[in-house]
This record gives sequence, C-alpha cells and structure tokens, in this order.
Amino acid sequence: MAAHVMDAARRLAGALSGAIALYGHLVGAQARSQMQYRLSFLMTVAGAFAGNIIDFAAVAIILQRVPRLAGWSLGEVALLYGMSGLSFSVAELFAASLDNFDRFIVAGTFDRVLTRPLGALFQAMTEDFRLHRFGRLAQGVAVFAIAQQLLAIPWSAARVAVLVLALVGGFGIYFSIFVLGAVFCFWTVQGKEATHVLTYGGDFFASYPLDLYRGWLRRFFTFIVPLAFVNYYPALYLLGRADPLGLPLWTQLLSPVVASIMALVAWRAWAMGMRRYQSTGT
Amino acid sequence: MRLYWELARRQFQQQLAYRTANLAGLVTNAFFGYIRAAILLAAFAGQGTIVGYDARDVVTYTWVTQALIMIVSLWGWFDVEKTIRDGSVVSDLSKPFSYLGYWLARDYGRSVYFLLFRCLPVLLVGQLTYGLRWPSSPFTWLLVLVSVALAVTVSFGWRFLINLTAFWTTDTRGLASITGAAVLFLSGFTLPVRLFPDWLRPIVQALPFVSITQIPCDIFLEQYHGAALVRLLGQQALWATGMLGLAQLLVWRATRRVVIQGG
Repeated sequence: MAAHVMDAARRLAGALSGAIALYGHLVGAQARSQMQYRLSFLMTVAGAFAGNIIDFAAVAIILQRVPRLAGWSLGEVALLYGMSGLSFSVAELFAASLDNFDRFIVAGTFDRVLTRPLGALFQAMTEDFRLHRFGRLAQGVAVFAIAQQLLAIPWSAARVAVLVLALVGGFGIYFSIFVLGAVFCFWTVQGKEATHVLTYGGDFFASYPLDLYRGWLRRFFTFIVPLAFVNYYPALYLLGRADPLGLPLWTQLLSPVVASIMALVAWRAWAMGMRRYQSTGT
Repeated sequence: MRLYWELARRQFQQQLAYRTANLAGLVTNAFFGYIRAAILLAAFAGQGTIVGYDARDVVTYTWVTQALIMIVSLWGWFDVEKTIRDGSVVSDLSKPFSYLGYWLARDYGRSVYFLLFRCLPVLLVGQLTYGLRWPSSPFTWLLVLVSVALAVTVSFGWRFLINLTAFWTTDTRGLASITGAAVLFLSGFTLPVRLFPDWLRPIVQALPFVSITQIPCDIFLEQYHGAALVRLLGQQALWATGMLGLAQLLVWRATRRVVIQGG
C-alpha cells in the first residue's frame, strides 16, 4: 500500500518536474529574445510598474485630503492593494497569454497546438510570455512593503499562514478567471475585451475595501465571482476587523477552499470548451 | 482639404465594422468607471467641497475621463510605429499629401467615431448609475467640443512624436510604455490634478498633458468662466500647435533619414 502511494507520488513528481522543465524551456526562449533590446525591456518593466503604482499613488494623495476611505486607513488599503497585486501579478505572469486566446483561435494557431502531444491549456499559456509583467509584480511587492511599514502587523504563525494561503488562493482565483476568459473564446472570438472586467477589473476592484461598493456589487464579488476571498476576508483576519457583512469568522479563512472550487469550475469549463471547439477553418 | 476629409471619413467608417469589440470595450470602460467613481465618492462623501469639487463633481469628473479614454487613445497607439517597422512608411511618405496631415485626419476620424459610440454611451451609464452634473447650457457643450478636439490634437501630437522615434531607435515600445503611464497620471486621468500636493501641482499644470483630460473635464464641469476659461482653451491651442509643429519638424528630419532598400 505504502509502496503504491510512494510510487504514485514519485510518478507525479516526475511529471511535474518534467512540465516545469518544459515550461522553463518554452518561456526561457521568449524571455531571452525579449531581453535582446535591453533598454526597451527595462522601460517596459518600468512602464508596467508605473502604470499600476499610479493608482495607489492616487489613493495616497486622496488620503492626504481625507482621513479615511470608507473607514480604512492608507496602510489598510495598501494591505488590500498589495495582496491583490501580488496574487494577480503572478497569475498574470503565467496566464496572461490566455488573454490573447481569441487571436490565437482566429489565426488558426490553436489548431497547431492540438496536433502536439501536450496539454492544450499548457501550450496556450506558454504561447505569449512577457517578461515585462514582472513590473506589475514589483508594484505588488512595493505596495505590500508600504502596508507593512504603515501597519506593523504583529506577525504570528497563524497570521503568516493565513497570508500565505490567501496569496496562493488569490493566485488560484485570478488564474481561474484568466482560464474562464479563454473559455469565453470557444463560444465567441469577438468581444474578448469584456473579460477584462473580471481579470484586470477584478484586480482593480479587489484593490480597495469592499465597503466602498453598493450591496449588489459586493455580493456579486463575494458569492459569484469570489474576489472577496483574494484579500478582503484574509485582510480582515490579519487586521482583526469585524466583517461589515456579518459573515462568521471562519469565512476569513476560506480562501484556499474558494480557490479550489474556482479552479474546478475553470477546469470543467475548459474541458467543455475543448469539446465544443471547431476550427475557424481559415 | 477634401482629401483629408475623405481620409477621416474612411477611418470613421472602418471603425464602424468593429461593433462587438466596441460594445466589449464599452462594458469594460463602464465597469472601471463605476469602481473609480465609487472610490472617489467614498472619499468625498460628507466632506463638502474639496479643492472646488463636491462629490457629484468628482464623480462626473471620473466618468468624463473614462468617456475620453478612447477618444484621446490613452491606452497606447502604435499605428505609425508599425508602418515604420514593416516599411510601409515609405509608400506613405511618397504620397502627394502631408504625412502629418494624413495621420491627423485619420486620428480625427477615429476619435469622432469614439465620441459617438463610446464616449456618449459611457456617460449615459454614468448618468444611470450615479447621476452626473451635466453642462447647464448649449454654449458649454460647444466649449466642451472645442476642448475635446484640442485634446485629441495634443494627444495625437504626443503619440505621433513617440511613434516617430521608431525611425531612430528600436526602443519605441518601451518608451511608449513608460510615457503612457506618466501621461495617465500627469493628464489628470487617474486623479484630478487639483488634488495633487502643492509642490507638484504647478509643475504638472505647466506640462502639456493636462490639455488631454484635466482641461476638457473642468470645462465640462463649468469650473471656469470668462478670462480663466479663455486662458485654458488658449493653453490647449498653444500646446496643440506646438506639438504639431514639433511633429512636422521631426517628420522632415526623419524623411531625410529614410534609406530605401531596393529589392
């Protein structure tokens, strides 16, 4: 019995390390080519950093004028902003290639993918890797550091665990949304930009306290597209704040569960889309 | 003149084909507008007037900036850079019309399309979800139109300059990325410039970028009257002329640089 489990684990680890090596290989080639134009590369990284940090700068400027934003201080908003930024930027790093999935289908490139002996989703993910997306990650790190500076959260083992699980869960939730955005293209290749409402718009939404938004929007992003579990509920736990929606305390620890459900939904939807897929024939 | 009119009209018609894409963009612009307005509304709620804006002003300001995004191409624009990279710029340069005028006319055509099919619907969503402060007289509407036209011109001139750097460097995309982020902030798109800290505000107001969003928004909100209003429009006109002048200068320099490889 134990031998079986060990064997299965070893095979899984083997497959996983194979996939990681292949991913590194496919993506590494693109990364190297993007580094060729050194100055342009550095500027696009700086641009990705600046393009996202200005929204936080705006909050910081507003909070010079007014003491609190819907009851949240600058440090507290920075915590939300930084957590969402970290989860989202890592998800974007791996999954943003899926954001071009419509073009991928229209150009017929996806048919080429299907002839190869590799997972279609895996290939779609590696098709368009952009190194400059590290700029967004740097922005998340910077804002998170600001939050820590302003709040001086007393880190206990429990808090660290909640933070790590929230970041991983947040990554899972955003990643799943990117996959669902690609699934959208199996039904229509037009209007892909609307999926930005949930990807980039999701990150933007989650960067600010839920208390800002009206009830229906808050419920939608708690129960239907569960962005509240990316950062809001874990942040309530980290800050020791009560939930204005009055949900029980354990909801603040639900991020990994919610992320698993999202991942399952995305996986099923992708499988459904793949069954439905017919080439454009062009 | 007729030629440029025709170019603008063609560009307008070309845009008409992307109906679903425009609808999707509209949904996205409106969603971000909704969130951005919620943030500013929460900040201004119960605060009375800050730097001359009350809650409704600042909500309207946000929706107007969202409505302007596509008109003034805030998300980046590489049409010229692409032709320089793929070489088709050569045939454009050899055609018997002004190269600058060719692109400017097309940009006006594009922006008129977005004025009708993006800007107005986005404002309508803003009205339905928040209620906006609309201009109180037809005269203000006229001024808004003039101001937006000048905003397009300034924005076009700036984008055109950045695109033209492709004649000299392979780093245009990087440059566009970093200047694009700067323009979002310095134009007053992210936040009204009047809210900026005291040391930063005069610097930003002296730059051309406030002509792209801050000024049209303030004119929409009827924040200025009389001489101050004329001065703002004059400031826009000055930057528009300056940008186009600089662009033309750069076109001449670039033209001398172009070496056509036969083959």
